[in-house]
Amino acid sequence: MAILTEGRLVPLVAFILAWIATYLAIQLGKQGKIRIRRIPGLDAIEEVVGRAVEMGRPVFDIIGMGSFTSIYATQTVAGLSILSYVATLCARLGAKLYAPQADVGVMPVAIELVRDAYRSEGKLEELDVDEQLPYLSGTQFAWAGGIIGMAARMKPAGNIMIGPFWAESMMFAESFNRAGSMQVGGTARMYQIPFFAAVCDYVLIGEEIFAAGAYVSGDPLQIGSIASQDWYKLVALILGIIGALLATANVPVIQNLLSM
Amino acid sequence: MDARRDIPLVITFLVGVIAVMDYYTTFSAVKETFTVIKNWGVVLNAFALGLGAVNLFRVHGRRISERKRSDWPFSAWLLLMLVIFVLVGLGTGQFDASDQYQWIYNALYLPIGATMYASLCFYMSYGAYKILRARNLDSFLLFVTAIFVVLGNTPLFPALFPPFFHIREWIFKAVVGGAYRGIRIGVGIGAVVLGIRTLIGMETGYLGRR
Repeated sequence: MAILTEGRLVPLVAFILAWIATYLAIQLGKQGKIRIRRIPGLDAIEEVVGRAVEMGRPVFDIIGMGSFTSIYATQTVAGLSILSYVATLCARLGAKLYAPQADVGVMPVAIELVRDAYRSEGKLEELDVDEQLPYLSGTQFAWAGGIIGMAARMKPAGNIMIGPFWAESMMFAESFNRAGSMQVGGTARMYQIPFFAAVCDYVLIGEEIFAAGAYVSGDPLQIGSIASQDWYKLVALILGIIGALLATANVPVIQNLLSM
Repeated sequence: MDARRDIPLVITFLVGVIAVMDYYTTFSAVKETFTVIKNWGVVLNAFALGLGAVNLFRVHGRRISERKRSDWPFSAWLLLMLVIFVLVGLGTGQFDASDQYQWIYNALYLPIGATMYASLCFYMSYGAYKILRARNLDSFLLFVTAIFVVLGNTPLFPALFPPFFHIREWIFKAVVGGAYRGIRIGVGIGAVVLGIRTLIGMETGYLGRR
C-alpha cells in the first residue's frame, strides 16, 4: 500500500522546501539581513485610525465572512491579525472600533483578540463587546445590509477590510466611500480585488494580505519569515517560463513532473 | 512559560500537522484522527451559533429596553423574526424542511436577499463610472479595454461586429489570463507560507498580543 496519496509527491516536496525556505528566512531575519518592500496599504492603517481620532468618528474593521474550516481560513487568519493591530491602535489612540461579525466560529476569537488589545493598552473598560463586535448574521446579504446601515448611520472616518469577501465587497466599499471613510481593502479573492482597487484608497493585492500580520508586527523574526514568500514566487516564475518554453517545444517535462 | 500563549500554539501545531498528514498520506489512523477533529469543529461551531444568538438578544434587547435610538423597532422586528423562524422550525419537527418554514423563507427572506443582490448593479455602475474616466494614459487604456469587454459581452454588438467578440476573448485569455495566473500563484504561495508560519508559531496574530 502506498504511503503517499497519489499525485501528491511533488506538492509534498514543494511543501517541505517551503518549510526549509521559511526556516532559512527566519534565521536571516534574526541576523537582520532581510529587507522587505513597503506595503503602502498596511502603512496607511495608522493614518486611518489617526484620522478617526481627529474627526471623532469611528473606525470599522471588517474581516469578511470566512470561517476557520473553509479554504478561505488563511485569509480569515490574516484578517484577524490586522484586527488585532487595528484594535491596539484604536485603544492606544482613542478611536472607537467597530468590527461586525458574520461567522460564529470566528467571532469568539475576534472578541478575544480585541479584548487582549484593549487590555494590553489598559483601556478594557472602554470596550463594549456587544456593541462594537456585534454578530449581524451568517447570511451574506443580511450581514451586508447590517454593515451598510451602520456605515450610513455612523459615518465612520475609516474602514479596513482585510479577509475573504464575496459580492458584498463592492457594497461595502461604495457605502463607506459615500460615508466619507478612508478605506484600506485587501483580499485574495480574485473577483473582488478589482472592486477594492476601484473604490478604496489603498489596496492589498492577493498575497500581500498574508504578509500583513508579520509586517505590522515589526518583529525582524516574523518579517524574515515572510521573505520566503518572495523566494518561492521567484522559483514559480522561473519554472513557469521554463515550462512554457518546453511546452511550446512539445516537451511536457515540467507538466509531467508537477502532476506526480 | 506563558500557558495562555504556548498551549494554543502547541494545539495549533499538532492539529496542523495532522491536517497536513491527512492531505499527503494514506495512513488510516491519521485520517480517522482528522475526522474526529473535524467533528469537534462541527460541535464547537454549533455551540458558537448559540453565542451569536445570545449576542443578538443582548444587543437588540438592550436597544429595545432603552429605546434611545430611533431604530429600536427594527431591533424588535429582528428578534421577533428570529423567534418565529426558530419556533416554526422546531414546532413542525421537520426543521427547515417543513412547508411552513419553506414558506416564510421563500416569501420573506429570499425576496429581500435577491433585492440586495440585485442592488449590486447600481453599486457596480457607480464604481465603473468613477474608475472609467480617461484622466491619464493608464485610465485611458483601462477605459478603452472596458469598452471592448462591455460591448463584447452584449449579444448585439458581437452579432453586428464579430471582431468585438474576438477582441474580448483575446483580452480575457491573453491579457487578463496572464495577470490572473500571476496573482493566483502569489495567493497560493502566500497561503502556504502563512500556513507554515502558523504551524511553527511565527504567525500569532490570531492569538492577540500574548
